[in-house]
Amino acid sequence: METSFALTGKGYVIVASDTTAARSIVKMKTDEDKIKVVSPHLLMSYSGEPGDTIQFSEYVERNLRLFHIRNNYSLRPSAAASWIRRSLAQSLRSRKPYSVNLMLSGYDVTEEKPHLYWIDYLGTMTEVPFGAHGYGSYFALSLLDRYHDPEATLEEGLATLQRCIEEVAKRLVVSPGKYKVKVVDKDGAREIEL
Amino acid sequence: MSRRYDSRTTIFSPEGRLYQIEYAMEAISHAGTVLGVLAKDGVVLAAEKKVTGKLLDLSGAKEGGYGGSGEKIFLLNSNVIGGVAGLTADANSLINYARSAAQQHLLQYNEDIPVELLAQRLCDMKQGYTQYGGLRPFGVSLLYAGYDQHYQFQLYHSDPSGNYSGWKATCIGANNGTAQSLLKQEYKDDIEVKAAISLVLKTMSKTMDSTTLGSEKLEFAVITLDPETKTPKAKIYKPDEIDELLKAEGLAKKEDDNAMKT
Amino acid sequence: MNSIANRFSTTGPLSELKKVQSFEDDEFADSAWGSEAGFGSLAKGVPNFTVPSVPDPSAFLRLHTDDFADPNCRIKIQHGTTTLAFRFQGGVIVAVDSRATAGSYVASGTVKKVIEINPYLLGTMAGGAADCQYWETYLGIHCRLHELRNRERISVSAASKYLSNLVYSYKGMGLSMGTMICGWDKTGPAVFYVDSDGTRLKGDIFSVGSGSTFAYGVLDQGYHWDLTDEEAQELGRRSIYAAGHRDAFSGNTCNLYHVKEDGWKFIGNYDISKLHYDGPGETPGAGYGYDVRIERTAGAHVVAQA
Repeated sequence: METSFALTGKGYVIVASDTTAARSIVKMKTDEDKIKVVSPHLLMSYSGEPGDTIQFSEYVERNLRLFHIRNNYSLRPSAAASWIRRSLAQSLRSRKPYSVNLMLSGYDVTEEKPHLYWIDYLGTMTEVPFGAHGYGSYFALSLLDRYHDPEATLEEGLATLQRCIEEVAKRLVVSPGKYKVKVVDKDGAREIEL
Repeated sequence: MSRRYDSRTTIFSPEGRLYQIEYAMEAISHAGTVLGVLAKDGVVLAAEKKVTGKLLDLSGAKEGGYGGSGEKIFLLNSNVIGGVAGLTADANSLINYARSAAQQHLLQYNEDIPVELLAQRLCDMKQGYTQYGGLRPFGVSLLYAGYDQHYQFQLYHSDPSGNYSGWKATCIGANNGTAQSLLKQEYKDDIEVKAAISLVLKTMSKTMDSTTLGSEKLEFAVITLDPETKTPKAKIYKPDEIDELLKAEGLAKKEDDNAMKT
Repeated sequence: MNSIANRFSTTGPLSELKKVQSFEDDEFADSAWGSEAGFGSLAKGVPNFTVPSVPDPSAFLRLHTDDFADPNCRIKIQHGTTTLAFRFQGGVIVAVDSRATAGSYVASGTVKKVIEINPYLLGTMAGGAADCQYWETYLGIHCRLHELRNRERISVSAASKYLSNLVYSYKGMGLSMGTMICGWDKTGPAVFYVDSDGTRLKGDIFSVGSGSTFAYGVLDQGYHWDLTDEEAQELGRRSIYAAGHRDAFSGNTCNLYHVKEDGWKFIGNYDISKLHYDGPGETPGAGYGYDVRIERTAGAHVVAQA
């Protein structure tokens, strides 16, 4: 069952996503990267309908890249999030909507602040200090209500993330195996080994 | 000689020129002057009104809207002011387009349009009119004074060909050569809005045909940052505010001028 | 001319509306970007494929093909299958069964479920046989065109991406394919899983079809990267045998292919009943079957005891 978490801290956002690609009862792949670096200071984790996820995330990636090429700067996280939400909302009202749930994590270099946006396939968007998608969210959200600290250092943030992962591994019937973890801060986006 | 290549904008002359565009630019150099100066903490815009006359009813412009008379200086978006030189009718059409483009950006990205992007949007359209058949280019140059988070305060100029460029201080319309050389002498890199206002008014008073400055011949606007919210604040001066400003700068016309007029 | 004038005219509510609608992406028509190098619609990702002129093609298809809901339905699509492919030190092994079922009826026992796209690319077939055959042949055309245009072979990654974009454009219209695109390119051996949902995965081991779980059971346990060519071929064969034995909708024979640096090679066609009793060789009693194997080991114990 697809699960992803994200949380903000002091000057950074951490995103974690499981790495399984399943088809009915079979795990087809266990090292799939479901967090895309869509621009230098922007990460997007995605889950949902197979096929739609890749097509939509590549659509986003390429449009943001095009914006960067045209203007020599990237869209700010808030603007990118609005644009992505709008794309999903327009798609929802088309003949064949994208069923993709997203979490958009970015660092705004102009105001030097981290931002996290929770977006679902219906085009709901909200800025949150932490968020989760999938079955994992039923465990992680209460946990994060209790333990999340927006002023936490990266180490503390990763420890909180570890708590989420462990809780889900402990309680969820079909818990995902490995996770991929990425972080974005003033230096850009990078992957982190837990 | 050049007749054969004049009638359609899409055709190059044997010397490789597009006459219609050059004519459009020529039209602008007879229009009322518009002058812009970029300061550290804001941008200042002033424009000379050409259309005046005792019978023209300006009462609607006195207190209405954002200020100005709606002839030369317009609010394009909450973070951008535009100043136009050229055919008024063409300008109105471009301003309408610019305002739509800015709103479209707000709708798409939930942020004010970056100044350069707005200039690009208009230039894309202007360029189109230099290429497609049967169309006449816009006889309008614009100055864009604005603020965004990417490049802070900016001043751009665009011409009928669709070219645009960024400036520290520039001038379009009649006598723009004189004004630009004055600006070149007087401009300092770390100029602040207060000094920029004086510079703009001084330069305007020297370049304008008339000997005295007054609100019936001048439009004026400033864009700065609101000290509390840190968001851009555009101010287009109303006629009596302009007169007040001119008085403060010591450029107002003398009392006897008024007496003569009345 | 008129359309251009319309686009740039700024008066009238209609043009106003049009402008706002076409603001972002489609400011220019595709035709504005030139002649597409004379390739017409071929140069675009998506071909022109006529969809039946009914309001909802997939509902129409379901109505006539769903034998579970209506056993008397006119068209029965071939569903049960086992196909597998894996990457190892010596290239790629591709193994498939050959049974075609239509409902509970075995329609054919000699189906070719490996589609030879070109001398370096193989595609496997699971789901709708016609869908796989048609689109993978179509893929072959484009791989060849790619070669002619770019003076080099298409990568497995690019070929599989082409196919996945293609089937994605028909998503929800009833296509049913689960395929592995296998080959050897500049990056070495490669296997991509592509299905009609639009999923595309790069990986080392894949198995698709109703018998895939049975095949995985044998394949995963016997697999490691450093397999020799013979060991790898044996593993592929044995895995298909396992699925053919356990899955009612798979069986008859096993087709085995090996892709190496110089292209694919057909290794052989093996009868699954014969594999059960005698194995791939001609030795009676050397089969893969459980009873056969136990009897063999029991015999060995007897010999050892004696």
